[in-house]
Parts: sequence; C-alpha cells; structure tokens
Amino acid sequence: MNADNRKGELAELKAQLRQLAGSRAPGVEELKRELYKKVINYLTVGIDVSSLFSEMVMCSATSDLVLKKMCYLYVGNYARGHPDLALLTINFLQKDCQDDDPMIRGLALRSLCSLRVKNLVEYLVGPLQRGLKDNNGYVRSVAALGVLKLYHIAPSSCTENEFPVTLKALLLHDSDPQVVANCLYSLLEIWSMEGNSSEAALREKESLLSRNVILSLLNRFKDFSEWAQCLVLELVSKYVPEDAQETHDMMDLLDDRLQHANSAVVLATIKVFLHLTMSMAEVHQKVYERIKAPLLTLVSSGIAELSYAVLSHLHLLVLRAPVLFASDYKHFYCRYSDPSYVKKLKLEMLTAVANESNTYDIVTELSEYAANVDVTIARESIRAVGKIALQQYDVNAIVDRLLQFLEMEKDYVTAETLVLVKDLLRKYPQWSHDCIAVVGGVSSKSITEPKAKSALIWMLGEYAYDMNDAPYVLEGFVQNWAEEDFPEVRLELLTAVAKCFFKRPPETLKILGSALSYGLADANQDVHDRALLYYRLLQHSVEIAERVISPPKQAVSVFAGDQSIEIKDRIFDEFNSLSVVYRQPSYMFLDKDQRSPFTFSEDTGSSVLGPQSPEREDLASDYDTRDNELLLGAHEKEESRAVSNGSHGFSAPKSQTSQHDPFAPRSASPTQTAQPARATAASPQATVSSSAASPLLAVDDLLGLGPSIPAEPAPPVPQLKLNAKPVLDPASFKRKWGQLTVALTVEYTFPAEALHGLTGPQPLVRHMQANSVQCMASGNAPLKFFFFAQLSDAAPNSGFFLVELVVTTSSGLASAKIKADEASMAPAFADSLRSALSKFGP
Amino acid sequence: MPVAASAIYFLNLRGDVLINRLYRDDVGGNMVDAFRTHIMQTKDLGTCPVRQIGGCSFLYMRISNVYIVTVVSSNANAACAFKFVVEAVALFKSYFGGAFDEDAIRNNFVLIYELLDEIMDFGYPQNLSPEILKLYITQEGVRSPFSTKAQDMRPPANATLQVTGAVGWRREGLVYKKNEVFLDIVESVNLLMSQKGNTLRCDVTGKILMKCFLSGMPDLKLGLNDKIGLEKEAQAKARPSRSGKTIELDDVTFHQCVNLTRFNTEKTVSFVPPDGEFELMKYRITEGINLPFRVLPSIKELGRTRMEVNVKVKSLFGAKMFALGVVVKVPVPKHTAKANFQVTAGRAKYNAALDALVWKVRKFPGGQTELTMSAEVELISTMVEKKPWTRPPIQMEFQVPMFTASGLRVRFLKVSLYLTSLLFKGLTLQLVLYTFAVCKANYREMEQVWEKSGYSTVEWVRYITRAGSYEIRC
Repeated sequence: MNADNRKGELAELKAQLRQLAGSRAPGVEELKRELYKKVINYLTVGIDVSSLFSEMVMCSATSDLVLKKMCYLYVGNYARGHPDLALLTINFLQKDCQDDDPMIRGLALRSLCSLRVKNLVEYLVGPLQRGLKDNNGYVRSVAALGVLKLYHIAPSSCTENEFPVTLKALLLHDSDPQVVANCLYSLLEIWSMEGNSSEAALREKESLLSRNVILSLLNRFKDFSEWAQCLVLELVSKYVPEDAQETHDMMDLLDDRLQHANSAVVLATIKVFLHLTMSMAEVHQKVYERIKAPLLTLVSSGIAELSYAVLSHLHLLVLRAPVLFASDYKHFYCRYSDPSYVKKLKLEMLTAVANESNTYDIVTELSEYAANVDVTIARESIRAVGKIALQQYDVNAIVDRLLQFLEMEKDYVTAETLVLVKDLLRKYPQWSHDCIAVVGGVSSKSITEPKAKSALIWMLGEYAYDMNDAPYVLEGFVQNWAEEDFPEVRLELLTAVAKCFFKRPPETLKILGSALSYGLADANQDVHDRALLYYRLLQHSVEIAERVISPPKQAVSVFAGDQSIEIKDRIFDEFNSLSVVYRQPSYMFLDKDQRSPFTFSEDTGSSVLGPQSPEREDLASDYDTRDNELLLGAHEKEESRAVSNGSHGFSAPKSQTSQHDPFAPRSASPTQTAQPARATAASPQATVSSSAASPLLAVDDLLGLGPSIPAEPAPPVPQLKLNAKPVLDPASFKRKWGQLTVALTVEYTFPAEALHGLTGPQPLVRHMQANSVQCMASGNAPLKFFFFAQLSDAAPNSGFFLVELVVTTSSGLASAKIKADEASMAPAFADSLRSALSKFGP
Repeated sequence: MPVAASAIYFLNLRGDVLINRLYRDDVGGNMVDAFRTHIMQTKDLGTCPVRQIGGCSFLYMRISNVYIVTVVSSNANAACAFKFVVEAVALFKSYFGGAFDEDAIRNNFVLIYELLDEIMDFGYPQNLSPEILKLYITQEGVRSPFSTKAQDMRPPANATLQVTGAVGWRREGLVYKKNEVFLDIVESVNLLMSQKGNTLRCDVTGKILMKCFLSGMPDLKLGLNDKIGLEKEAQAKARPSRSGKTIELDDVTFHQCVNLTRFNTEKTVSFVPPDGEFELMKYRITEGINLPFRVLPSIKELGRTRMEVNVKVKSLFGAKMFALGVVVKVPVPKHTAKANFQVTAGRAKYNAALDALVWKVRKFPGGQTELTMSAEVELISTMVEKKPWTRPPIQMEFQVPMFTASGLRVRFLKVSLYLTSLLFKGLTLQLVLYTFAVCKANYREMEQVWEKSGYSTVEWVRYITRAGSYEIRC
C-alpha cells in the first residue's frame, strides 16, 4: 500500500467515524465496531493512525463493551505521544470510573493509569483512591497495579498521596487474593526503586520479608492463582525463618506445590526449598533428592522452550550436586527430534553427571551423536567426550572412541578430535604413545580448520620423537606456507618446526630454514616478529633457544574453569531467572545503557515528560550496578591476566597465540600475581621487570634491545609520599568504598589539548600510574575511573585513598570523590591528585 | 523477579506483526525490528529461545506458524514467561475452538487484545483461567453478565472466587440434563533402542484427560492401581492389598483443582472438576513398561548404489487388541532414486520429502503378530564423493486403544455432590452416588441412578497408548 493510498483510506475512516459519532441509529454499534477493528488493525501493523484521535474519542460514548475496550487500547497507545489529545479522553474515562458495572470501572481505571501522560496525573489520583476502596475485587486489583503505573509516571505524586501505605494495608487484609498479589507486585517494585534514594523505603522493602507478612501470605497461599503463587514463593525464598522448626513447617506446607501442574510454580517452590535450607547441609541434600523427580518431569514436558529453561536450572544444580543425578543420566539422552538448544544443554548435563560408573554408557551415547546429521551437535558431543576424558582415567576406552571418530572420516569430526587429543595430551602426557598412534594415521590434507591444524602441528612439534614422519609432515605444511590463510596456524607452524629441530636436527634443519625465511617475509606482524625472534635466538645460542622455545613441560593439572565460584553462587542466588539461562549474574546483562540503540523513537513523548521522566530513577540504580560491574570486571581481567602470566613458565611462545585458549593453567595465588598483572597494564616494559625470572628477559637482551627499564618521569615530589606499588584487590576496594564516606570532592577542568588525548580510559590510567595512583577499574562512556593510592609509610591495608573520577568529555570537567582511610590526609592527597591531573596531556 | 513483561508480540513467519501489546515503556517501539533483524533473519533463529539484544531479553516460542515474542528488560523468570505463553495459547485456543495459527489470530485479533489486556497487567500475569474469563470476555458486546443495574449487585468475576473459596475454576449453578464424565488415559511411550536391540532409554509420559458435564458442585474421587495409593488403602482396611499389577509412578502433577493436601495424606485424587475439558493429571513412569512393539531392522548397503532394507515389526500387546495408524519411517540417503517394496501388510512407499521409506499399516493386530517390510533401494550414483551417510533412527508412530504401556488402570471414579440447602446453609451433605468398577471394553456405558437425589452420572473411561518419540537406531 503506498502512502497516498493510505492517506486516502485514513481520511475516509475519519469521515466515517465522524458521521457515526453522533448517530443513534440502530446497528450503528456494528458499524463502529468494524471501523474500530480497521483502526486497531492499522495500529498493529505499525501504521500511524494517531490522526484519528479526536474522532475515536468522539465515538467512544458507547455502552458497547467491546467497542470501549478497543477505544481504550487505541487511547493507551497514542496518549503518550499526544498529551493534548489525551486530555479529551479524561472526561469519559473518569465517568466510566464511576460506572455501575465493576468491569467498566476496572477497565476505565486501567486505561486511565495507562495513559502515561505526566500532565494528567492530577486526574488520576482521585479515581485511584476510590478504586483502592472499591467494594469490588476486580477494581481493587486494577487499582493496585494502577498505583505502580502512577509511580512510574510521577513517583512523588504516588508517595505524597501515601499510596504505598494503602497498598500495604490491602496486602495484609484484603479478601481478594488477586488484589493481594497485585499489591505485592507494586510494593516490591516501588520500594526497590525508591530504596535507591531513601533509607525508609529500604526498610519498607525489608519489612515485606518480615515474619508476619510472610505468614499472612503463606496462610492463604492456596487461594492465590498459580501466577500469584510464583510471586509469593519468590518472596518467601528470600525469607529467613526463625528456626529450623519454622523451616520445616514451611516446607511441609509447600511440599505439595512440587506436584503442581504449572512448571513455574514447581520451579519457584524448588527455589524456596533450596534457599531455605542453605544453612542446613543435611536437609539441603534431602531437598535435592526431593526435587529430582519433579525437575526431570519438567524436562520432559514436551514444550521445547520450557525444557530449555528448566534444563538450564538443572544444569546449575547438577554442577552443585553431580552425584545426585548420576543415576538418571538416561534422562539426558537426546531425542532425535529435540531442537538443538535442548540437545546442547543435554550434552552438557551428560558431561556434568559422568562418573566412573556411567562413563561407558555416556561416552557410547555421545559417540552416537558424533554421527549426528546436525554438525554443531556432532562437534559438541565430541567436545563433551573430551571433557569427560579429562575427568577420567580410562585411557583405553577413550582411545577406542578416538579411533572410532577418526574412522568416520568426516572433516569436522576429525578436526574436533584432533583438538581433543591435543588437550588430552596436555593433561596426560603419559598417554602420548596411544594418542600419537591414533593421530599418526590422520591425513594432514583432510584438515582445513585452523584450530585442528594448529592442534595437529602442535602435536607434530611436541612429539617429534614419537612420530617418525613428523619432519616430513611439517615440511609439507611449510611448503604450503603461502596458501595458509590463518596466521595462528603459521605461528604454530613456526614453533613446531623449531621444536622439531631441537629434537631431530639433521632432518629438520632445511625445513627450519625455509620456515624462518617464509616467516620473516610474512605480512602478518606477529608471524614476522616470532620468526625474527627465533632467528636471533638461534643465532645467539641454540641451547638458550631450546630453553626458551621448547622447555620441558609439566602436565596441566587443572584447566581453567569458565567461571569463578563466586559468580556461580551469585547465579544460584538468582535461581529461577534469566541469570541461570544466560549463566551470568543479572548485573552483567542488565545494563540499560547498552539499550540505547533501541530506546523509544517517539521523542515527543519524552520531551513532554521533561527531565524527571521515570527513567531517571532507574539511572540512579544503574549507576550502582554499573560500578559493581566495573569492579568485578577488573577482578576478572586480573584473573585472566594472571592466567596468561602463569603460562609463561611452561610454554612461552605458545602463550602468545593462546589468548583464546581456555586451557591455560590457573595461577595458584591470585594475590601474588596481582601485582605483576597490574604492572602489565602500567607499561609494557614493566612486564619485563616483573617477570624477570622468565626467559623472556634473556630474549630481550638477545634482540639487542638492552634492558629497557622504564624511562618514566620520576614521580613529582608531592606534598605527601605515596607508595609506588600499592596492593589492593577489588573485593577489598569495594568493601572500603562501601565503608568510607566521601572526604572531599575535587573538580578539575581539563584543558582542550589534554582532552584530545583522552579518547579512552587507558591514557589517563597510565598517566596516573606514573603518579603512584593506581587504577582499580575504568569504564568508557561516560569516562569513569576508580583509582586508589596508598601512603608510602602506611602499614598494609591502611592509609589508602580511594577515588571515583568521572570525566565529562564534552566539557572536560572531571569531578572526583575522594575517600580516605585517614581523612586528615585527604586534602593533601587532593592537591597531589589535582597536580597529577594537570600534568596530563597528549 | 516475576515476569514483568515489557511487551508481547505475535509475528508470522515473515516477521509481520499480528499482535503488538506494549505493557511498559521501558523498551523501545522498534523492538520488533530488533527481533526481526537480530533473530529472525539470522541463522540464530531456533538455536536458542532466549536471546539478549541491546539490554532486552527476547523470549520467543514458535507455535504453528506464529512466533510469540515476550520482551523483558528485567531479570525475569524465564520458565514462568514461557509457561505463561503456553497457558495463554491454551486460553486462545479454547476461545477460537481449536487451531491457533496466523489465520485464527487475524480473525480474532480484537478478542486477543481483549484477552491480553485481562491476563496481563503492566507485565504481570493476572487471571488466566478460561472458566472465569469466559464469564466476562465474550465477544457479545453486551455489558458484563453481572448486570449494570445498581440494585442488582451480583458478585462480579473475581468475587466468584471469594464466594466459592478456592474453586476459582468452576462456576456455580451449572445444570445438565444428563450428567456425564469422560475420562481418557493417554500415554506416550518414548523409546530409544540401540542397533543391538538394547533399550537405551524408555519412559512413559501419561496424562488423564477429563471432560465433565456435571450439574452443581460435584466432588470426584479417582482411584488408580498405583502402588502408593493401593498400599495406603490396604493399610486403611487392614488387609493385604489384592494381588495384581501395581504401578509405581515416578512423578505426578495435578491440575490445580486437585486437593493436593488430601493426595498427600490419603493418596486419593479428589477434586471438584472444572466444567468441560481439562487435564486432570500428568505422570511419568520409567519402570516396568510394556513396549507395544518390537522393531527389528536390518539395513545393508550393497555397494554404492544399492541398499537392502528389512524391517520386522512385532506386536507385543494382547491378542484381542489392535493398533491403529501404525507408521514406520525408515530413513534413507538423500540421493535415493527409487525403492521396490515387499510388505506382508499395509502399504509402503518412498517419500523424498522426508528422505524416508514410509510404511503404513492401518490396523495392526495384537498378540505377537509379526509383519515385515523389505525394500530394495536404488541410489543415484554420484560422481562427487558423498559424505558418508549418517543413519538417523527409525521412527515409529502408532495408537493402541485400550492398552496402557504402563499398565495403569482406573479402579474407581466416585462422583458425589455437595448439596447446599438453604435450610442448612454452610452444612455440606455429601452423597456418595456411584462407585465405578474398572471398565473392560472401549467406552462401555455404565449408568446408575441414585434413587433419592435424582442425580445420576454416566462415566466413560478410555485408554490409549501412543508413540511419543519411538526411535530405533539402525
């Protein structure tokens, strides 16, 4: 439909509506209905029919319920963008709010609250107050949520009229369960948003968890609808019972909910059980036993999406109690018709529950999937076999599988298997004989994937002694250097050829030569650099080169887990929510700033709302979560850096290619590595100094670079002496930040030229580090930093200064909040901070 | 966090919006575009039902040819959101009378908007019970059934809940000329059998479906031959339980009408049923399953262009019973040219769309009957080296009436009636009207009149076992 055509139709609709508006002829309702339907249909498909607003309102004087509803829907959709027109509807909505029919009262009240126009709030308060006192449950339940809607439009008007207090009273005393539920929805939301700014609201929110509220809800629990039950259960899961007896009573009361047909209720009950018994280890175990059957039933509900949501939860539980589900592994066998996301989760389950008694069956089953038509699943199942293999010790069975996989002669199966074998060898070098025998038969031509190629090349280099034709296979790869598209493979090839050279020099010498010359001519910087490095190393001394490139390896005992225990616990706290599905705590994915590309396009609406639009409130809370995120992010980054640092010891050249390699060993003590990790961020040179023990330093010397120890400007002489290398881990930083109060706020305006250098957080971070102020975390857009510094003569864990610095890039204004262990020193520190900032320039 | 849906969209497979209901302002208006560009038009469609785009989570389900997308911005409860959609669809179906697809939505979109308005407010689920909603969401256009006249303040919808206590799923004052109860036990057998004929996995998911057309507020009691129930009964009567097969149910879930407290203490299923059709209970069984069929396949690849398929199917249920609509699907490679069949019963043909040989037997007799299908399959010889063929499992469909793979049987179904008289208001008089014995034939009618009350019921019990995913690897 083209635009003109549409315009014509709209005009026609308009005329027709106008005609019908005043008419009282019989059958006119029918006609109106047809027209309204058309309008709603346009609205649905996204055609702007707001031009019909006044006609629609004119026609709304009707006793026809369906017509009324359509009109409400229309008004609700457009009122926000047309506040002046919305005023037209107030009259008839208010009238309807006093209708004799409770249905109409409720509907009108709901629509009135859904207009979302700030100017009209004054018309809302009266009907809401009446609605909450209505003698009809339906109207009251609409009003209870209406309060929440009001809060979103005008928080102050909501609290001034003491709506929350009224809701609280209804929550405890109303006779209609739906009213109670809606009160609870509203109060929870209002108080958690209000709680960001007011202590009183926080207390109110806490009071929802008080004993008498919880008991009053539980006492009438069975009257609630299934959805309201979910809500109440969610609340109860946060309640801490007074004693064990109470816990047991609650569980007795709720036990039958595990038999409920509504899966949401069952999951919510499970959450309550798990959380109530957290501190009672023995009962907690029994709870697992109890919830097993219902969970398995939910998995086989037949609705794939639901199974997916439930399986995600089950996965979380299985990781916490793998033994429990070990005997039920057959439930996780994939059906041919399962969608791939369900299959994927089932594979993870099978991996997680595998133990000595069921490994054989599970691996057999997984091997079946390797032949699956669905390539992704086939790959996943091979990886699953790999993961199980890494947990177990039954070498023969695994090698049999590997052979079986390779015999299938499918490219992707072979590729995955090779990667799997490589990881196996890194953990169990003693299996090399069996594994190498398997790999030896693989034709190098059939492998195309870079990961698999790298794995094969790595093995060729590493086990050149055991594989007779290793040099010749490598030679083949070197000859095809030019056709090799992936730099990671070329890097691996360089290393492997060098390693092979140390093991079997005469056969490899020529190949090494050509590999190095290819490498030196390579367009890729990394490849070029590595070739150059090897070349010079070898020139300098073959022994040292061997020590660097091919040091003796120790087996990797623990592979880096994907998530820290802390994060897993946080996810568990958020059981029965998206966190479990995403496997991330909510603060990681609920960053509302990221949503900017999809925010409302109806600008008119927000301009009317003015600066105090409801979103403001969210922002305040967001800041907090985002700060947390920054801090946690720093913590993780540090960990990952620690990981790569730790791997220097065992395979120095490898570590350069292994940024994406999840199998780097995890360092034993994060505190020890924290310092060098931070140093890494400070300046590249610092890495060298901090990891002086590693052979890399020697390499640096070899390259003739000289020991380039920081030529940093000497820290300016400040009024107070700061520790150049203070140590503070993110967790303590967070704690301190929470405990201390703001001692001082400092403002500084960057000159324009300095601002040019401030395109990201990094330049300033480095600059401040040079001034003995360390960065804990930083974020872009808005530019925000958490810094800390320590008095040079302070005892450990004291004399810290914590700084939150926010830079508005448009104006160059930087405002810092300083918190200090010793508040008396804060002014002095503020001076040195200001002077440090003033020295920042491009 | 409960659901707190920001919006719900219904889209057709092309991505056209069929229904668009915004509940909150915290997501943008162009969410549909986000869904279309980031999920529908990518390979990701169907890889995961929950996706996050730009800070919002999209939870989507495909139901026939419609996508239902729930958008949330908070850390919502995913299971609850999906369940809500499932229930909502069930509700829509009960309104449209059957199918839920694009056409049905287009024809009923005003009704759907009306319902969406009632079942969810500001993103929070409200009442979804069809029984209650049907009282005031009609497309009649008249004012609600609770009259508009001031003097006649009849209890409105939600007040019904209060008046009848917890019986929110049944309205009062129903009258039927003939009181009838239909009870269907429907079981699906799921089987996964290895090449060697070992059962890798086998379970039964069953449900008891009921259709009640009963006057007043009847109280029903159902007795099954499940282990716990029988033991409990034996204890109560202080005599050993009768010999005979008892069934161990792994897990049971009930419709909200079932009194779960009574189930836990007395182990009887007692309930006040909703009017019309509903699912009384669901159960799951993994032990002691009687498989209705045994399949013995043999597939030989003879060279590169020929295959020999031989499938033997044996019925394992009683000789007096028979299976209906038996379909055996034997997968064959994509480059199959044609197949020549020999069958002892039924008809078989090669279906190129399914890449399978489909063998159909309309009526499969019971009692160890063995039927075979053998086929010679010719493959197109291709010059290109084909990737080796992965053999998907053989799949089977069937229905066996009057057979339950689990062995579950209805022992009795008692219908009693709460009689509330004006004189003894508040007193409940329970009349046990009828005790029902296990029914032996398909839909045998049993009728008995309680002489004094004038309340008679007719009960029908039916059993059927279907194939769930009945897979045999070959």
